[in-house]
Amino acid sequence: MRSIKSVLRAAISAALALVAAAALQAAPPRFGGTLRVKLRSSRISLDPREWTPGSLNSSDSRKIASLVYDRLVTLNDYGQFQPALATEWTHDATFKTWHFKLRAGVHFSDGSALTPALAAAALQSTSGKNFEIAATEAGLTIHSLQPAPDILEQLASGNDFIFRAQLDGKLLGTGPFLVAEAVPEAPAEANPLATKPARIKLLANENCWAGRPFVDVVEVTLGEPALRQLLDLQVNRAEIAEITPDLVRKGREEGLRIWNSAPLVLVALRFDDALAAPASDSLHEALWLAIDRDTMANVLLQRQAQLAAALLPQWLTGYAFLFESPMNLPRAKELRASFPAGVAGAEQALRLHVDAPGDLFKLMGERVAVNARQANLLVQVAGVGSANNTAAPSDGLHLFAWHYDSLSPRTELETLLRQMPDGSDLGANAADPEQLFAQERRLLEEHRILPLVVLPEYVGLRANVHNWNGSPWGDWRLADVWLEAEDTSSGKAAGSTQKENMPARTPGANQ
Amino acid sequence: MDSSSEFSRHNRWVYPGFLGLFLLIGLFAAINPPRTFVFADSDAALKETARRLAERVAAIPGLHGPLRFEWHPQGNWAEGEGTRWQDSLRDAFDRRALQLSDEAGAPALAVYAAETPSEVVLTAKTHVGDRDEVRIVALPRSLLPPAELRVAPVRLKRQLLYESSDRILDAAWFSDGEETYLAILLYKNFDVVAVRLDPMGQIQQTLPLNVAGLKPTRDPHGELVFHGSQSSARLWGKTCDFSWNSAVEAKCRTEKFNMPGDSAWPADAVLTSPCGDANWTISDPGGEPTARAVLRLAPDGATQSSSATLTSEFPGPVLNFSPEQNSGGALLMVRNLSTGNYEVYKISLACGD
Repeated sequence: MRSIKSVLRAAISAALALVAAAALQAAPPRFGGTLRVKLRSSRISLDPREWTPGSLNSSDSRKIASLVYDRLVTLNDYGQFQPALATEWTHDATFKTWHFKLRAGVHFSDGSALTPALAAAALQSTSGKNFEIAATEAGLTIHSLQPAPDILEQLASGNDFIFRAQLDGKLLGTGPFLVAEAVPEAPAEANPLATKPARIKLLANENCWAGRPFVDVVEVTLGEPALRQLLDLQVNRAEIAEITPDLVRKGREEGLRIWNSAPLVLVALRFDDALAAPASDSLHEALWLAIDRDTMANVLLQRQAQLAAALLPQWLTGYAFLFESPMNLPRAKELRASFPAGVAGAEQALRLHVDAPGDLFKLMGERVAVNARQANLLVQVAGVGSANNTAAPSDGLHLFAWHYDSLSPRTELETLLRQMPDGSDLGANAADPEQLFAQERRLLEEHRILPLVVLPEYVGLRANVHNWNGSPWGDWRLADVWLEAEDTSSGKAAGSTQKENMPARTPGANQ
Repeated sequence: MDSSSEFSRHNRWVYPGFLGLFLLIGLFAAINPPRTFVFADSDAALKETARRLAERVAAIPGLHGPLRFEWHPQGNWAEGEGTRWQDSLRDAFDRRALQLSDEAGAPALAVYAAETPSEVVLTAKTHVGDRDEVRIVALPRSLLPPAELRVAPVRLKRQLLYESSDRILDAAWFSDGEETYLAILLYKNFDVVAVRLDPMGQIQQTLPLNVAGLKPTRDPHGELVFHGSQSSARLWGKTCDFSWNSAVEAKCRTEKFNMPGDSAWPADAVLTSPCGDANWTISDPGGEPTARAVLRLAPDGATQSSSATLTSEFPGPVLNFSPEQNSGGALLMVRNLSTGNYEVYKISLACGD
């Protein structure tokens, strides 16, 4: 009976093919094509063991690495953990011991089999000393000294990819793409004073356990300046490019299709240890009260950022709204008036080191200096750093950018604190949200880290990019992206006015 | 026409002929890991979370009622979902002898609800003496039932028959000569599984097809075809013949079927009206996989822009369509964008308003 339906369906499908092809929205997925991706980072590493926590560079590295490596589990947009290289998992009553069953028949890109021992070795090298990971006959066991109810969040994010290190140090993965070529930055042949940007070429893994990706090739160009990336999208030299917050409005006005994640980058100030209490306490609080975050987010960053009063964002903890950052200039002046002589920030300028790269962060640093001056505090912007959170150990104040990497709030806060000069630790029960809130509140009340704003990631997409389904936490999921054929998409790249803002509770879906 | 479509977590299963689905859920949840099926006693998780929060709030030193309960959901919570939480919280506070009041002058007990990528976080905030008190609990989102379907009121009769977190490739009615069953084809953890539901909606059979050599794909699709007592699952690159009544494993052969790129909305996407025998054609809902589908039906002779057109919004993209034999209705497979689940709807036209 239903075979009649099939015959009918087949018979009319040819007749409707032209109509379907013409209707962009009804087009079926298409295999093939080259996806050109432009990134701002001039250098990335595909070795998760080299990534610096919280760094903007490492976050770009992670995006590309996720095309090559897989995780044990992933998290979908509906809060459900999905099997990836692990097909099943269980834990004991204390959440200290977790057993994962490894998917059978998975191979690395050189054809060698994924084994529990290799998976355990990879995870042990990225997860550090928090876990003891042992291979079992069918998978692996992860033992944690502390209860780890959030281990799935940890494994579905951060650096915990599964890979195999070869003798020459290169890493192999089981993911949807394999690295075909990695060309480092080099002087341009025509003009030795100019440089040719680094490039990475990835080919579709035909034998990927989860299915071949739709596109044949992903070409990643590194070190593209922000404005150039915008132009590349407009003149059909890129399908996907990062957009800096200050260019989002311009891009949208020019009809670009721009997607944004949840706020993923914290911009904050950090006092180093050189300043002694109690004078420093008043200085910290005075600066905290003097900063005009509202102007920073809405004017300097053109409403493309949110004020930050917490270290972790609302989308990650659910409780960040409890923190407030009231600007109180009179109180800041009062505190300033009480400073004893010789305190930095009073007669002697407090040096502000901008540890994050780019003009935007420097502008934010200058804005902090202006706000400080309004409270009679002397702050002088000293220098601009790199994208790797590797600030010079200078005295004074640092403006830094922190990329949220983990889906576990506890892990994220722990990692953030470890990168601070005194490397404080969280309590044992910090997996409990109330305990974590208490810890974060304590840290904020010390005023040693002053959150300023949180920024989403913005991605410009050409109109021929389909099935884009970036996660709110910044995974690009490029294996599921497919490209409309060039002959039908020409001229549409800059013509679409669709804006892809991630709705809070109805993110996109695809499988 | 019947303006149906008001589904909620409370009444979703109370449709004639499908009460048994509730039992099916319990049975299915029992034989499947809870991570992959979403109905595992979902109310219990919600109530337990409300109980934990109430316990923590009741333990706040110096807190006395009556308190004015405030509910502050973050973002776009479905009304029914919020109501369920509030009912559970009120009940839990009541059990902890925390008296709630609607009086404006009573101190506030504000409960904020927020979703993180993996959890629902409930934060209770109140003021005791000169201090704010905050209590926070969380539960995995995967333990909650799917959000209430927020669908536009439509003049099309529709019933949710089946729902799964696994991809539904196809669904179709078939008969063994005595009974009529609903067959579902699932793509579950990179394998294909056929499921048979009886007329009461209870799972009769689950048949993993164990298709050897089936290439994993990011665009799974399939079709169930019936020839007498034999059934076939036509998949990408393979066709498998199997029998519901035999213990013999499915026999699969290589056969190209409907590769990505040549699929199209079927021309037989037609519903028959029981009052007047008019045929209503459903036009291709199209759309990106991240958009809710709007189904448009127009009677024969009318254009899709005619005032006679019916529209019905579904909670996500339509993935497949399967006409019912002899009933004038159809089965529609949809991905619910609010929950991520795959759903099978029976749609049909009904007389009257």
